[in-house]
Amino acid sequence: MNKYLGNKPALALFLLPALLLYSVILIYPVLQTVFRSFYDWDGLSTASFAGLTNYRELFSDPLLGTSLKNGALFALVLAVFQIGLGTILALVCANPRVRGRKLLKTAYFIPVVLSVTVVCQLWIAMYDPTNGLVNKLFDVLGIPYQQNWLVSPTQSIIAIAFVNAWQFMGYQFSLLYAGVKAVPEDYFEAATIDGCGKWRAHWHVTLPLMRETFKFCFTIAITSGIGAFVQMLIMTNGGPGTTNYTLTFMIYRYAFMESNYGYACAVSVLLVMISLVATVVINKVFDRGQHA
Amino acid sequence: MNSKTTSFRSIGSFLLQIPLWLYFIVSVYPLFWMISYSLKNNDEIFVTNPFGFPAHFRFENYVNAWTQFNIPRYFMNSFIVSIISTLCILLLALMFAFAVARMQWKFRTAVRTYMIVGMFMPLQVIMIPLAILVRDFHLTNTYGALIIPYIAIGLPFSTMVFYGFLVSIPREIEEAACIDGASIYRLFAQVILPLALPAIATIAIFQFLNNWNEFTLAYILISDENMKTLPLGLLFFQGSYSTDWGAMGAVMTIASVPMVLVYLLLSEQVERAMTVGSAVKG
Repeated sequence: MNKYLGNKPALALFLLPALLLYSVILIYPVLQTVFRSFYDWDGLSTASFAGLTNYRELFSDPLLGTSLKNGALFALVLAVFQIGLGTILALVCANPRVRGRKLLKTAYFIPVVLSVTVVCQLWIAMYDPTNGLVNKLFDVLGIPYQQNWLVSPTQSIIAIAFVNAWQFMGYQFSLLYAGVKAVPEDYFEAATIDGCGKWRAHWHVTLPLMRETFKFCFTIAITSGIGAFVQMLIMTNGGPGTTNYTLTFMIYRYAFMESNYGYACAVSVLLVMISLVATVVINKVFDRGQHA
Repeated sequence: MNSKTTSFRSIGSFLLQIPLWLYFIVSVYPLFWMISYSLKNNDEIFVTNPFGFPAHFRFENYVNAWTQFNIPRYFMNSFIVSIISTLCILLLALMFAFAVARMQWKFRTAVRTYMIVGMFMPLQVIMIPLAILVRDFHLTNTYGALIIPYIAIGLPFSTMVFYGFLVSIPREIEEAACIDGASIYRLFAQVILPLALPAIATIAIFQFLNNWNEFTLAYILISDENMKTLPLGLLFFQGSYSTDWGAMGAVMTIASVPMVLVYLLLSEQVERAMTVGSAVKG
């Protein structure tokens, strides 16, 4: 039996294609990025070792501050909108008296399967200052709040983050809904019988039991905020000026527009480090709550 | 008394549902708006009827969109790239998972861990060397420039899902196959593969959707107009055709219909496929 399941040629045939492709296309580039971040390299000629120069330059790069701030804002919008609002909707939706649950869930999820290009262009049209739906809506409601959403340097990053939040709300919602459903109903009922109001019962019973779900949802929201790129690229091309830059936008610009590959690699390493730290912190925060 | 409480309860449950239906509108109305302006002319969109249903359907927008632009070409490219990479991911990931989950050899835990690492790599960290690899292998502006990276990127997650599935199959299966004299290849193709069909379906949907909608790598690796996939090709309409909103709406609607149909037909499976990550990663 062991000989049968230890068949060497078969093992090689089953393992090697996947391992080879994975090593060449994923692992090798990761190592290469770290390695090249210590070099002055234009992607073509021989690179020259530069030690920590790239990192030193990076920390005095004015784009870094903008990018970090935008990444944080983006993550904040995702967390508040998707997880904050998503949790409330999931709790309400789990109430047995709600009708049309299937229709609601389907409607929330449809934007998730759309192409990000379609969604961004739809929202470019929605945000259009004269013909867009958003300004027209304010007009119809009689609120004199006409904005040039994507041009304002302070608002546009929020407006863009909202597009991402809107598109992937359904995804977070279905995770949160599954999380609510996984909490045994007796727990919640026991709390309401003990005289807790519904919302207080949810606050003290349901939400703490959804710790694992929240951990995962926050990790997705925060890391996709830090790594955000496509929406800015399509909707404002990082502008006005460089006001909508993020770390990924910096990588894109330095590598593919300015051929400053070594420097762009240093930005990549920083991006991974920040995502890693964020993930660890999120885990720590939710695990600490467990022992309290 | 009793009927009074019932009516209070029904009012209560009606009020309770309001936020759900409000968000329903937020989620769906932009799409309805897109479809309706794809059937209007500029006058209707901007002035006479911005919010509502089109007065009469201007299907010529669709005819224009389909015939004047490169839409059929983008569709074909997306289809070829997504189908080939999904099929390869399924085959390679299943073979790998089979070797790690069912076969007996020394370093299988180490190799499995090595593969898991890839699940936590953000795309940005491989982007630059990958672009150079693609250039050095002379793959720029070919299907291979997308298919090969898509396969590699899809592998870690898919192998983990298959691994979880295959590990739970009882050991007697191999014994029976061994006693019957079936080769290990037959065991894989005729016993394991059919058993894994539910997991295969989940991963197929997940990877197809991912590849169909992938933007960043395609943007960096493809510049030839004839090789563009749908998400990339649609970018083109932003600048040059933004004055003709009807045609733009039609283009966007055409591009969205296939995925929305897939979702509506298989909604349960798609939701499970998209959220299966939480079970694996969490």
